[in-house]
Amino acid sequence: MKNNLNNSSEPVTGRRYWRSLDELADQPEFKDWLHREFPVGASELVEDGQSRRHFLKIMSASFAFAGVATLGTGCRRPEEKLQPFGQQPENYTFGDSQYFATAMPTRIGAIPLVVKSYEGRPVKIEGNALYPGSNGSTDRYAQASILDLYDPDRARHFRHDGKTVSREDAFSFLDGLAKKFAAHGGEGLGFLAESSTSPSRLRLQKTIAQKFPKARWFTHDAIDSGIHQRAATYAFGQSVRPVFNFDKAKVILSLDADFLGGEDDAHNHIRRFAAGRKSAEAMSRLYVVESLFTLTGASADHRLRQPAALVGKVAAEILAQVMGGPASLAGWVAECAKDLIANRGNVLVVAGQRQSLEVHLLAHAINTALESTGKTVSLFPAAEQNAPDLAQLDLSATDTLIILGGNPAYQLNWSPKSKSTTVVRFGYYEDESAALANWHFPAAHYLESWGDATTTDGVVVPVQPLIQPLFGALNELEFLARVAGETQTSAHEVVRTTFGGSEETWKKFLFNGFAASSIESISDVRLAHSVAELNQLLAANNSVLPSASNLNVIFYRDAKVDDGRYANNGWMQELPEPVTKMTWDNAVLMSRKTARELGVANGDMVEISLNGRTVKGPIWTQPGMADYTLGLALGYGRERVGRVGAGVGFNAYKIFSGSYIASGATIKKTGETYVLACTQDHWSMEGRPAVREFNRAEALEAEEKHEPIAEEKFHGKEPPVIKSLYPNPLDEAKKTALHQWGMTVDLNACVGCGTCVVACQSENNIPIVGKDQVKRGREMHWLRIDRYFTTDPTRKNQKRGILSPTFDPRSDMNQSDENQQFAEWIDDVQAVNQPMMCSHCESAPCENVCPVAATVHDQEGLNVMAYNRCIGTRYCSNNCPYKVRRFNYLDFNKRPLTELKGTVYSTAMFGHKTEGELDIVRWWRDPNSGMRSEDEWDLIKLSKNPDVTVRMRGVMEKCTYCTQRIEHAKISQKAKAGGSGDVRLTEAAGNIPKTACQQACPAGAIVFGDVSDANSAVSKLKATPLNYAVLGDLLTKPRTTYLARIRNPNPAMPDYHEPFSTEEYQSQSLTKKGHS
Amino acid sequence: MIFPKWTNSLPLVIGLIAALAGGGVAAGVAVYLTPKYTRAGYQPVQPVPFSHKIHAGQLGMDCRFCHNGVEKSWFANLPGASTCMNCHNQVLKDDPRLQIVRDSAANNTPIPWVQVHKVPDYVYFNHSVHVRRGMSCVECHGRIDQMEEVRHDKSLSMSFCLDCHRNPTAAIRPVDKVTKLDWQWSTNSAEAAKLQEVNGKKFVHDWKVESLQSCSACHR
Repeated sequence: MKNNLNNSSEPVTGRRYWRSLDELADQPEFKDWLHREFPVGASELVEDGQSRRHFLKIMSASFAFAGVATLGTGCRRPEEKLQPFGQQPENYTFGDSQYFATAMPTRIGAIPLVVKSYEGRPVKIEGNALYPGSNGSTDRYAQASILDLYDPDRARHFRHDGKTVSREDAFSFLDGLAKKFAAHGGEGLGFLAESSTSPSRLRLQKTIAQKFPKARWFTHDAIDSGIHQRAATYAFGQSVRPVFNFDKAKVILSLDADFLGGEDDAHNHIRRFAAGRKSAEAMSRLYVVESLFTLTGASADHRLRQPAALVGKVAAEILAQVMGGPASLAGWVAECAKDLIANRGNVLVVAGQRQSLEVHLLAHAINTALESTGKTVSLFPAAEQNAPDLAQLDLSATDTLIILGGNPAYQLNWSPKSKSTTVVRFGYYEDESAALANWHFPAAHYLESWGDATTTDGVVVPVQPLIQPLFGALNELEFLARVAGETQTSAHEVVRTTFGGSEETWKKFLFNGFAASSIESISDVRLAHSVAELNQLLAANNSVLPSASNLNVIFYRDAKVDDGRYANNGWMQELPEPVTKMTWDNAVLMSRKTARELGVANGDMVEISLNGRTVKGPIWTQPGMADYTLGLALGYGRERVGRVGAGVGFNAYKIFSGSYIASGATIKKTGETYVLACTQDHWSMEGRPAVREFNRAEALEAEEKHEPIAEEKFHGKEPPVIKSLYPNPLDEAKKTALHQWGMTVDLNACVGCGTCVVACQSENNIPIVGKDQVKRGREMHWLRIDRYFTTDPTRKNQKRGILSPTFDPRSDMNQSDENQQFAEWIDDVQAVNQPMMCSHCESAPCENVCPVAATVHDQEGLNVMAYNRCIGTRYCSNNCPYKVRRFNYLDFNKRPLTELKGTVYSTAMFGHKTEGELDIVRWWRDPNSGMRSEDEWDLIKLSKNPDVTVRMRGVMEKCTYCTQRIEHAKISQKAKAGGSGDVRLTEAAGNIPKTACQQACPAGAIVFGDVSDANSAVSKLKATPLNYAVLGDLLTKPRTTYLARIRNPNPAMPDYHEPFSTEEYQSQSLTKKGHS
Repeated sequence: MIFPKWTNSLPLVIGLIAALAGGGVAAGVAVYLTPKYTRAGYQPVQPVPFSHKIHAGQLGMDCRFCHNGVEKSWFANLPGASTCMNCHNQVLKDDPRLQIVRDSAANNTPIPWVQVHKVPDYVYFNHSVHVRRGMSCVECHGRIDQMEEVRHDKSLSMSFCLDCHRNPTAAIRPVDKVTKLDWQWSTNSAEAAKLQEVNGKKFVHDWKVESLQSCSACHR
């Protein structure tokens, strides 16, 4: 099953895009992966010598059983009951989804949501589009949080010293606690809580402070973005909280700030940033100085690799130049500073939350010196942060410690095991911290709770429950109210009391999902410190440059498990990390140069020593990283966690001591190797040019001339009109259809955050497959995000001593040059992210090859899958040039969570037991029971979207353009039309459905709509010069087209490239340049 | 001579018997393993001897009085017992046959009705769009108003759906006549057929009825 790669689409000269270093160097492993229709092992059932044939031999016996079973139960379907209400509730129609406004509380704010509920169970989370300024988007954590609700491993019991106790007993313990501490003012009572923005919790906290004046309240977040507020407060001499308006800035400089990725509130940043980047005309420019390669770095126009410790130095240089000093550094920094000065009043310098206070102060100083504070940085009044430092927590003096959320035992390597201290834990999982607790209270999910929160804009939003707590879990507010000894303990009443106001405003608050805001930003601010003072601060911070024996370590918030809280969330674990594309693991990230000097390669286990503490992890070389820097994602290596998160990754908290940048680390090879499941080479586009990039000037010129510059020509010419022997049935069906669906994906807006991937997974019942299966290339994501790296070819060729303009990169492609892999230039990469899903080609290659017509077109241009017809030949997948079809190999929906990590059926196939019973016996009794235990099974059923078929094994599946949403919209409109012809969905009427990915995208990069309506947003976008079809020269006529990425580089910069990114496409298509 | 002469015809006889047997099996499968046979005629005994004949037929109650979600949802809901009690707290208020209904309404416990009509899970049939666009209940459910106990009347197979989706003209009717199961354009059957043809065409055209036959219409 080898593919012939020598097709016309391959670029002949110029720049190449590559996803992994293996691909660039064309390692045999990569070639082998590429040339097979399905990866090695993908077609084999089991690893330990069991072939497909062998499997069939054994299974034939059970098929015979199945036949007998059918006879036994008869041909009639089983009797099913319909059980209507005894008392019909008002305003409820069975089968109609209901939507409730609520919010997901985050550490520093909240995400306003609208959650879809079906038969009383929440099934899909969406952003609240009514919320002022919002586009109805969310982040990936919010999308995935619904799976936590149905997590079979969440805490279900009230426990005392490990034993289950009744709810009443637990409550009477709390009441006793309240009475006991009320007697002596809370002496010896300690709280350790996560941050929260809930006004009700704040009110209860104040009540507690009044009732127990001697009680101490500590706040701890493993990922702490409080530095932004602390720095602004210090800089401006009043308690303020900065909000960064990326949409209002012309020039943005990020000082190690991953504001599009790892920083808190990233989805708001992405929305604002994209708003300032969407049109070539008014496009901002992004400079990034960073040490890791982050999503922000991937979006940068100019990126400077700097060890984290040197970022402050760059900031100081820029400030010096801004203040009128001479440019002491030439090149990058000087030109960047000039650009900032030239855009006085419209600049935004933002320092990362991992950076020190000094760097933040320098950023504020630059913004203020360039008259941008108040414009690009809004300052909102904030409550003073006066929580005592956690170091002051004296356990010996604490009689009772209440841990409210969080997981301090894991995140602080902390064991408050003091015999005299009673530890009370309120948490969602029975995790590492629960193990230390004397009392454990199960926390309710936010979808089960009454509550409130404040967004980063300062707007109060309600948290409404959509379902009763599944396992009788307890609400945080009720817990606190009981601890405080309040008479009012119902969370609903607590929130209602905090909100106040009339019944009308309360109802409106719940209906809208937010309260009217009256918070104004502070406009009159000035720096409380002189520049000299700041420089002094910086000078005091003498960081040593990292080296091979003194490595910098950067601890960063993971894009998937956050600080560890989503470790048991399968969607998050299987989401390819946006930058590394790693699934089910974290790794020790380092640059090529560092890896070479240290003599390590991908997958080598190393032991990292930092300040006397050690941790072991596998190496992963990441292009674009600063040298001698290790990137460690926090949140993995959980010890007490559920079935999904067990044994995933290594625990970087073990060497973490509160500072996100640490120096002085050394590494040592252990000699072991570790297998990582990285998807960057999966579904490869095989070097065909899938992405287009242009510089802003080119885009502007094209727009002016209305000349398409990105669209591919057929070998340089207009596509020939091919009169097919068989006419495309779609052409005929089109004539009478109401709509023609199409989509555009704006590569310029997309930052690659991965929210769409999780949203798609949630909407379309996409199963997780586990690490072993991902490694075999069987991940099921209908929507993937391809991340391409590019490097400057001239620089590359110079380095290699090849300056000839006729240099043929194909020779480059086919060589396996160790030196090239380790060459220095490879570390300065650019990245492009491209979401890729079924393109719904009008003449779809997949349809021609299906022997059973299971994939065909409908009249509205959707390439549909009839799952029931599919017999699993996988011909369609083989023939799909976009590689967007997914095959369900092992009935992943029925696989138990415990089987996710190792090889499938690693135990003897027929000896496998579930809940103490042989699988075959279970199957005999109930063919639907599968290998999942009862609790998993019930919950997994609750979490499914009822509008989408749950696909079984042996069936091909792929993006449907959310056909269920289209059908729902059409049916609603038709039902409304009744006996009239008003059945067409139009943008004017606002009833065009949104696909799940489009709905969730914070950047608004995905636009879906009716392409037969010339005035629809999607049609207008398709008419822009930047529109192009991926592999358009194959004449597949895809309905999903892309808008080319525009870069806005500064011509004065040393790393400016002219004409830069059109090379590849031009060399490929041999067309004339748009403007020559 | 080892084989007697009659064995010469043996292959023919065997062939004939095999053909007959094979044909018989094929015919049997074609008749007995189709939804027309396996589904139509299904008439389970319900926990409450509710008569559609009396309620919908004799009393002339509209289908939507009880199945009130049919115009809003994909599902034509069964009424809650409280709906029954709206009348039966006056009528037959002590009838022992209604004890289950009274209990259900009083305790808010469901009545376990046995499902009669069901399409497979991979079929996303939607009631609301059919009944609000002039497709009568009778087309799929038959003369419910004449049934004492509800019977599965039509096959509800894919071909049954497609018959109508290919030719909606034959079944479409004025929107306000959807729940009138005995309604006809005319008492004269020849004239009714003619009027159906003429008006059906008009409705299909005027209401832009799509008569969808693509997979995505029903399967998602």
